[in-house]
Amino acid sequence: MAGLMERPSGNLAPSESAVTSEGLATQQAAESQALEQLLSTRSPQRPQRTPTFYVEIDGKQLEAFEGQTILEVCRANGIEVPTLCYDPKLPGFGACRMCVVDVEGCDAPLISCSAKAEPATVIATQTDRLREIRRTNLELIFSDHNAYCLPPCQNKCPSHIDIPGFLKANAESQFRESARIFKRTIPFPSILGRVCPAPCEDHCRRDEVDEAIAIRDSHRYAGDQVLKSMWDENIDPPLPFELQPKTGKRVAVIGSGPAGASAAFYLLVAGHDVTIFEKDPEPGGMLRYGIPQYRLPKIEVLDGEYQSITRLGGRFECGKMLGRDFTTADLKAQGYDAVIVAIGCYDTNDLGIPGEEAEGVIDGLDYLHTAALGLEYPNHEGSRVVVVGGGYTSMDCARTSIRLGAKEVTLVYRRDMKDMPAADEVHEMIEEGARAIFQAGPTRVIVDEKNRVTGLEFIRMQLGAPDASGRRRPEPAPGTEFIIECDRILKAIGQGPDMTWATIGADGVSATKNGRLKADAVTFQTGRDGVFGCGDVRNGATTVVASIADGRRCAYAADAYLQGLDLGEIRNRQTLAEPQPEFLSIVPFTGETKEPRLRLKALHADERKHDYIQYEIPYSKAEVMAESTRCLQCTCEAIGFCDLRRLGIEYGTTLKTLEKDHQNGAGFRSITENRWTGANHDYVRDDSHAFILREPSRCIDCGRCANVCAEVVGAACYDFMRTGFDTLVTTPLDMSLNESPCVSCGRCAETCPTGALMPKPRLLTKYEVDESRCILCGICVDACPYDALRSGFDFELAHTDRSEPMIDLIALAKIERTSEATFIRGESNWENTVAGRRHDPARALPVLPSNLRGK
Amino acid sequence: MKQIAAPKGWAQLLLTPPATPWAALRSVLAAGPAATMQTLIDAGLRGRGGGGFLTGEKWRITATSDAEVKYAVANGYESDPAVFTNRLLLEKNAQAVVEGLAAAALAVGAREAFIAVRAEYTEAIRALEAIVHNAERDGVLGANVLGSGRELYMSVRPLQGSSMIGEETVLLKALAGKRGQPEQTPPYPSTVGYLGKPTVVNNVATLAAVTWIISNGAAAFKQIGDPAEPGTALVQISGSLTNAGVMEVPTGTPLAEIAAAAGGPAKGATIKALLIGGPSGGFVPANLLASTPYSGGGLATVGAHIGSGALLAIDQSVAIPELAAMLTRWCADEACGKTIPCRIGTRRLAEIGQRFVDGLAGPQDVQKLHALAADVADSALCAHERLTPSPLLTGMRYFEREFVPAGVAAEKSGAVVGRSE
Repeated sequence: MAGLMERPSGNLAPSESAVTSEGLATQQAAESQALEQLLSTRSPQRPQRTPTFYVEIDGKQLEAFEGQTILEVCRANGIEVPTLCYDPKLPGFGACRMCVVDVEGCDAPLISCSAKAEPATVIATQTDRLREIRRTNLELIFSDHNAYCLPPCQNKCPSHIDIPGFLKANAESQFRESARIFKRTIPFPSILGRVCPAPCEDHCRRDEVDEAIAIRDSHRYAGDQVLKSMWDENIDPPLPFELQPKTGKRVAVIGSGPAGASAAFYLLVAGHDVTIFEKDPEPGGMLRYGIPQYRLPKIEVLDGEYQSITRLGGRFECGKMLGRDFTTADLKAQGYDAVIVAIGCYDTNDLGIPGEEAEGVIDGLDYLHTAALGLEYPNHEGSRVVVVGGGYTSMDCARTSIRLGAKEVTLVYRRDMKDMPAADEVHEMIEEGARAIFQAGPTRVIVDEKNRVTGLEFIRMQLGAPDASGRRRPEPAPGTEFIIECDRILKAIGQGPDMTWATIGADGVSATKNGRLKADAVTFQTGRDGVFGCGDVRNGATTVVASIADGRRCAYAADAYLQGLDLGEIRNRQTLAEPQPEFLSIVPFTGETKEPRLRLKALHADERKHDYIQYEIPYSKAEVMAESTRCLQCTCEAIGFCDLRRLGIEYGTTLKTLEKDHQNGAGFRSITENRWTGANHDYVRDDSHAFILREPSRCIDCGRCANVCAEVVGAACYDFMRTGFDTLVTTPLDMSLNESPCVSCGRCAETCPTGALMPKPRLLTKYEVDESRCILCGICVDACPYDALRSGFDFELAHTDRSEPMIDLIALAKIERTSEATFIRGESNWENTVAGRRHDPARALPVLPSNLRGK
Repeated sequence: MKQIAAPKGWAQLLLTPPATPWAALRSVLAAGPAATMQTLIDAGLRGRGGGGFLTGEKWRITATSDAEVKYAVANGYESDPAVFTNRLLLEKNAQAVVEGLAAAALAVGAREAFIAVRAEYTEAIRALEAIVHNAERDGVLGANVLGSGRELYMSVRPLQGSSMIGEETVLLKALAGKRGQPEQTPPYPSTVGYLGKPTVVNNVATLAAVTWIISNGAAAFKQIGDPAEPGTALVQISGSLTNAGVMEVPTGTPLAEIAAAAGGPAKGATIKALLIGGPSGGFVPANLLASTPYSGGGLATVGAHIGSGALLAIDQSVAIPELAAMLTRWCADEACGKTIPCRIGTRRLAEIGQRFVDGLAGPQDVQKLHALAADVADSALCAHERLTPSPLLTGMRYFEREFVPAGVAAEKSGAVVGRSE
């Protein structure tokens, strides 16, 4: 032992004279000689350098090594060649046929993952023909891809909230986490929980089982919990992302409505200094002055939600109006690095009829604004009011009039009730005592000799051909005029932005021909550098949720501008970051238990119609959890990581999912519909394994899992099974992974290009190792796909060489496991084996194609 | 299962056992590998499996590969279930096949050789095993081949499973005990084959021809058939002809002559077309039969190929779309499932074809079929998917009137539209 511990007496031993410079030189020479010897003896047969040569790819001369495949040369030089079955750890497999390239002199395209690069070849990776072949391949995959990407609710939300995500958190009573998920795309869960028209609920797939989920009411509860803890215990609301360090950049946001506040919030999170200018005495814009108190309580909810801005350091400067008190140029002069214009739409459209200027014809927004300020229109009590319009503003006008004591309130809308934007609220208005008349349009205002309103003449409308919005166009029916006597007329037929400020010191900023602010749809830039526009001023009057979505995207664009990034590139990134609505299909839900939706209770109309109190009674904790549990979680776990989806978007293989008149008006188009639509497979999900979730319907049979499992891990759990169209990469006999030699390493899920194999979400967060029983076999170190476990210093004491496999994983796996033979003989009841718990046999049974299952 | 006697004057060389067993092997040992391969190149022998590569050249690539271990394989796995040319050959003339394989192994430097046979061909397997066993017992094969000091172990390997095993890269995987899926070529098996080693793979008919050439000389062989691809081929004749069975046909014989040699049309039948090449073959219409020679090059010009060696005569009662869709569907079902264009694409081809049969085809379907067939062929991994569209493509080329989209009135021309009654 002592001999082993001594230094060898050769050249490397330090001599006594090592301190002298001469000795040092001798020693260095000896060392380099020893190093040379070591290098040359280790690999005498291997040439020091692999021969290189040049190939021409897409017009560029690129260096390639002998033995490299064309794909490897492309990857090494940053040329994108699409692949689905290629795994860098393995030799080219050639199953997906996506990596086809043209090589000059070859008749048919070559498969670049297998074809070796040869000197002086000329290669093209992106010809029209190649793109066509790849597109056909992708379409063929999609034609048998009985799966979906995003749930329809998330698609239809203008801001694309992760709805299954927050509902899941709700169901686990993690309301703070739920609100945090919500805040990733919309900062104000409580506000939206009250005022959102909830386009998501119209497309909820729970509707196929029983009724749509109350998505809006569910996030309302989560948001209210956060507000409650903020008011009661002064706990800051959760932040959606990590707060970025201060950048020192200053941003001015003009307008504190939904768009402006949303932009300000995300800019604050990004670390910028934000000041918000507001023309009214209090921040909130339409949220405060357009939406009445009974729908959105101003102090508890609106002020509370806006605290998430002030708590991040955002400042409101109220009473300052763009164009009156300052211009965009002034702001730039004051040192603001970017300006966001989000002033909304405040100019009510005119009726365009004679007598409109008469006394008593009131702008609906002005009316709401006055009411919100607590002022009253003189002589309103006991008056007869006619509201013209069918949007949410007209509802607010009518219901506020009732609350202000009007004797008679009539709402007139020119189209049918079902075409009304606020169709979901009209019954509440009628309950409170208003009258609604449909299919009538105003023709002239009747006035007395003092030019005061005494009535309004209408003409009946008949419904013509559908217009661009899909609704039938109203056309006047001659000779059907009638008059409604009234004292007040409230105009609520839509709004446009006030763009008069654009000419005052705002060079470059211009308006579109519709009178809106001209700003790019992705980068939000106006004509003037550093000035952005978002929200209603850009889009015309829309919903709160659409404005907030616009504000968020605008904040990202402004942040990129402040970081000095290329906004042209941001355009691509933004387009990719936003979910594309083209991807979804309808997978039937057959086995779900029916549980009807829990509806919000409300105060009786007689109790609520004289009062501004919030009349809806929110959920209890048990109710919100029960309602959230109804969510089918119909989202693909691989979204964002899926190569198939990425390539599908890139190659334009998908069709619009919602098309009018498609399939006799059903409208939905599934992911499997394209040129090659035909028979397809519907396999059963296998969640019997503790770590790996298998969803064979999403499998594209690329074989990566089979190759990685066999070649890298050595377990060989998967292979291609069956033949022809029914081929599927799966376990033998479609058995559970628990029955296979699986070592739970997760490499199959790691390599899967789609969501067919996924790491299973687990509640377990920490493992304990019983060191008294560990035999230091190192299998955990080998198997860990994320290098979370490593060999430490103590392993160095081992005398065996780890490069030689000590343990045959397959042999190990066979021990105490069911073999194929015992499995067939039924010696193991494999339905029961997972952690001793009884499994749903329908789920644990082998996955069979639907066409075989019935037989 | 019978052999049809060929007309006088047609050379017959494959189905008659060599006069003196092992004479060819002795000549190979005497002449040495280089001279043997040169003889085959001089004879112009080309692969019978459809590749059409010069057999001598193929051997030379394996022979010159830098590897210690090499293999030789005889491919007697007949994929087409309606064809038994290989079976007849192995039952009647196993000797020539074994001798040819031994010659190949010795020429390329392989010490091990396999004869892959369909497991159903029990009689052929028995004949082959008897020859191999006796040869090892007599010192013809084994540790010291005919006293030359060379080593050669041969074994008969019955295989069964999918029809894809006929493809050579699939065959090699099946021999290695793996799932029968093709590999990307190049590299061809000549350099990377069985267990990754250089492997010469020849069809059993090619090997039988090798034995004949060594015994009778390259010049004699070159005289037979089409000068570009000399020799004979075993043709499986079936359908509406008077005689059915296997006939040995010199290459380059016009199709009309083959049909006549098989006794002409069956009683009361009029030949409408011949399907040449098996399930993935092509239709050759009656008017082209006289001008089309039975050779690789000749058939390629009309969209067909020698393929499995099948020749199916079709009479007027058969609807081309129905037959083509059925064949395509068979090919789609037999696909190994490795590549996407093959697994899904060929199935979609069959579905589109079936729409013509059911009268459900849309106006776009003809164009769709062409587009998909081209895309499948261009991104194909092996010959199976490249050739699967052939029946539909040739059917549409020559019998366009029968492929009628729904809603279009069929011409009253006697054509059987869609489905035959």
